[in-house]
Amino acid sequence: MKANSKSKISRRSLLKSGVAATTAAAAGTLGAPMIWAQSNIVLRQSGTGVSAFNEIAAKAKEDLGITMEMTALDSDSVVQKVATQPKSFDIADIEYWMCKKVWPIGNLQAMDTSKIANYDKIVGIFKNGKLTPTSTIAQGTAPHTVSFVEGANGKSFSSEETGWMTMIPTIYNADTLGIRPDLINRPINTWAELLNPEFKGKASILDISSIGIMDMAMVCEAMGEIQYGDKGNMTKEEIDKTIGIFTEAKKAGQFRAFWKSFDESVNLMASGEVVIQSMWSPAITAVRSKGIPCVYQPLKEGYRSWGGGLGIAAHLSGKELDAAYEYINWYLSGWVGGFLMRQGYYSAAVETSKEYMSADEWSYWFEGKAAKGDIVNPQGVKMESAGAVRDGGSFYDRMGSVACWNAVMDENQYMVRKWNEFIAS
Amino acid sequence: MAVLQKNISSILLASPVILVLSAFIIVPIILITAVSFWGSTEFSIYPAFLFDNYEFLLTSDVTYRVFFRTLYFAVLVWAITLVLGFTVAYYLAFFVHSLTWQIICFLLCTIPFWTSNIIRMISWIPFLGRNGLANQSLIEMGIVDEPVEWLLYSEFSVCLAFVHLYTLFMVVPIFNTMMRIDKSLIEAARDAGASSTQILVNVIIPLCKPGIMIGSIFVVALVMGDFITVRFMSGSQIANMGRLISNDISLLQYPSACATAVVLLATVVIMISIMLRFVDIRKEL
Amino acid sequence: MGEKRSTGFYVLTAIFIAFLVFLYGPVITIGILSFQGPTGGLTFPMQGTSLHWFQELFRTQMVGDIWGSFQRSIILGLTVMVITVVFSVGAGMAYRKKFFGSTPLFYLIIASLVIPSILVSLGVGLIFSQLGWEVHWSTSGLGAQLTWTLPFGILIMFAVFNRFDKAYEEAGRDLGAGPIQVFRLIVLPIIAPSLIGVALFGFTLSYDEFARTLLTSGSRNTLPLEIFGMTTNVTTPVIYALGTLTTLFSLLIIVFFLTFFVLSQRRRDKKGSDAGKGLV
Repeated sequence: MKANSKSKISRRSLLKSGVAATTAAAAGTLGAPMIWAQSNIVLRQSGTGVSAFNEIAAKAKEDLGITMEMTALDSDSVVQKVATQPKSFDIADIEYWMCKKVWPIGNLQAMDTSKIANYDKIVGIFKNGKLTPTSTIAQGTAPHTVSFVEGANGKSFSSEETGWMTMIPTIYNADTLGIRPDLINRPINTWAELLNPEFKGKASILDISSIGIMDMAMVCEAMGEIQYGDKGNMTKEEIDKTIGIFTEAKKAGQFRAFWKSFDESVNLMASGEVVIQSMWSPAITAVRSKGIPCVYQPLKEGYRSWGGGLGIAAHLSGKELDAAYEYINWYLSGWVGGFLMRQGYYSAAVETSKEYMSADEWSYWFEGKAAKGDIVNPQGVKMESAGAVRDGGSFYDRMGSVACWNAVMDENQYMVRKWNEFIAS
Repeated sequence: MAVLQKNISSILLASPVILVLSAFIIVPIILITAVSFWGSTEFSIYPAFLFDNYEFLLTSDVTYRVFFRTLYFAVLVWAITLVLGFTVAYYLAFFVHSLTWQIICFLLCTIPFWTSNIIRMISWIPFLGRNGLANQSLIEMGIVDEPVEWLLYSEFSVCLAFVHLYTLFMVVPIFNTMMRIDKSLIEAARDAGASSTQILVNVIIPLCKPGIMIGSIFVVALVMGDFITVRFMSGSQIANMGRLISNDISLLQYPSACATAVVLLATVVIMISIMLRFVDIRKEL
Repeated sequence: MGEKRSTGFYVLTAIFIAFLVFLYGPVITIGILSFQGPTGGLTFPMQGTSLHWFQELFRTQMVGDIWGSFQRSIILGLTVMVITVVFSVGAGMAYRKKFFGSTPLFYLIIASLVIPSILVSLGVGLIFSQLGWEVHWSTSGLGAQLTWTLPFGILIMFAVFNRFDKAYEEAGRDLGAGPIQVFRLIVLPIIAPSLIGVALFGFTLSYDEFARTLLTSGSRNTLPLEIFGMTTNVTTPVIYALGTLTTLFSLLIIVFFLTFFVLSQRRRDKKGSDAGKGLV
């Protein structure tokens, strides 16, 4: 889940160079992409900042001739946009808990999985909830519970694969606490450490209610203060108690700051204002690429996980709908996957990314093995030297220890109000 | 007939302004008031006539704390900017004699105003942080051993940023009224044997009242309505009314945001109306 | 007072200088930080020195579009500027006589000035969403900004017309000029210098306006919104480089105006012309 920029992105520069690129595409490629190039298809993708990269839009233009106008918003704004302005986007790049919220409104259309070439390669998490046949399913809004609907016009979610998906999954990861090992100097292995008075004035949590409440729940459960029936669907009493514990900690000065955006978390950590906090994977690599030690600490209670995908707006039809399918197919075909994997995320059709990554990258990011050479980020900046190992290890280690998924609760509105009070208290 | 005609020409001349302000001030305020009674689901709002939003707002003790915190900031920042702004204006008006130097000094005060507010705000962060310039210097000078924590993400940093951003709004109107004080009045006072302090207290300050009031109106209105300074400078640890509203907005709770907005609007309007009683802005410009 | 350099003078000078340091301190801080090396962050300690982040400004950012938003801000600022000047002059002329509704309108203008920006943003955003219109910086954004620039413009016009000598107009009228001629040939040239002030105010206030555009700009950012976005998605000193560059840009403009002013002052002194005296 990431996304948090209020920034709305416009690709004016891309649009400008679009003319040139279109001609090139028309001359240089054959088959389907040419159609898009000639008809000058523009698709507007609205999503969280996680995956709204200029590079992806540029590559889509190059490979498909489709002009992607990407808008990155914070989570709540995306939900609002998808829910209330159905005509303002063509493709929604959102998370599964958001999907649970917005699907019933009917602004997205179900997608025919038979048109998705790499459907079979999509990992089990998004189909039956199981990473491996023996995995148990974590609490919260697990993606597979909102992945399928009955038929093209289905409104209610189906628990099994139906051939009609609400969104085609693209990206996911397992989140945990980030720490500054050099300033803590001792092992951290439980979520409960976030409220440890030892870190008074040096802790932080994110101010995004839907995700923050899950981090809080992980902490309260680890402290043994609360036994949740289902962290992903708390009762009012559980919400009150959870927020109560954190309000007390806030009043006692436990937190240095709250962060609302990815970048704030990076700065808090890099400047030493905070030594332990909720964090997202690319934020860790951002801190590290500044030469500052920072660990995405695996914890014994497991990870809080999230997943996102692409949904198609209900108003799309004809050529544009075909182009949207084309784009989504391209998205799963590997290049984007490799790009995202290098950010520390995982791709839904994970094996397709393999050929777009070097063997060393693959073994570092996916298999959790020691890097043989330097590991660089998608912009080519060196992040890790040879010998480095990804925090938390391999894909199966990390995604296999998910304790809960980002969720939307039945008592969401109540939770939001209590959250607002917590922030204001 | 002639009277009517005169009216018509004036109204015609003013009509663009009337139209713009009606469309973008009056109608929005009416709608905000209306929506404050509406109901909401998680992502949509529907017309209704409910008191839920006010009930939730007015029965939560958090609201009252936030409300008084907002007033507290307004009063504190007002007092600081008043003293500081008055001193700077006083210096510029009475101690800098050449017009060119007055203009240079005045421009020096306004240049930072041209840099984005947000950039000016966040640029305090590396200065005040735990490892920031301020703490480094304090430690090097041996004044403190440990970094001072309350420099950043505290009430102090919030006030500092406010003063930094808004003192100019106090300087300009006060300077403006000071420049219009008839110098012969001051000479007359001096001839009558008044000391500099007496002149300041008995002549200059009373004559600057309009400028002081106009500056105060600006500062109070800006601080009361702020939501972004408090968020950045307190690291989200402190809330004011504006933040309650913006939090509600970002969580799509528009009716609840509107209810808070109505309370804030009423407060600001009452405060400003009281201040307007002390000054006839139109005459004093 | 202050004729001889009293203690008061030195104390006040010290306070003034301290005030300037206070004003410029953060600007200097970000100035320094913007010259960090490629691994630099947003806070101290410095990570090397280079011009890297200034070059970076001119490359396509990973997310966002600085120059596009800069362009929009300039266009919006100029539009706001022109509208503010024209409408303010109109309102200023109107207020030279008392007219039906002038008092309520005056309070509306004051209200427009003091209403918290976020309420305007919220209200205008709500209107557009309720009417099913799409918010856009050039429509809803423009309107929302005008509620902030117009009161400033109008108040300046009040100040101008408060000191306006009607004798000039009467002279013109006596010579047989119609109302339009009087305005064009007499009033306008006299108020022109103040209009430059209104224009500058209009442009600056719009160029830097954040809160009023927040919910009314639609999917394309203005520069302040882009900067706000950058504070949430940029972890590099590129944002400081932008700040430093815009400050230098402003400085340049001001130096330009100052030189212009000083030069014209000198020329006027030389010629001994009385043009414009007593009017400003």
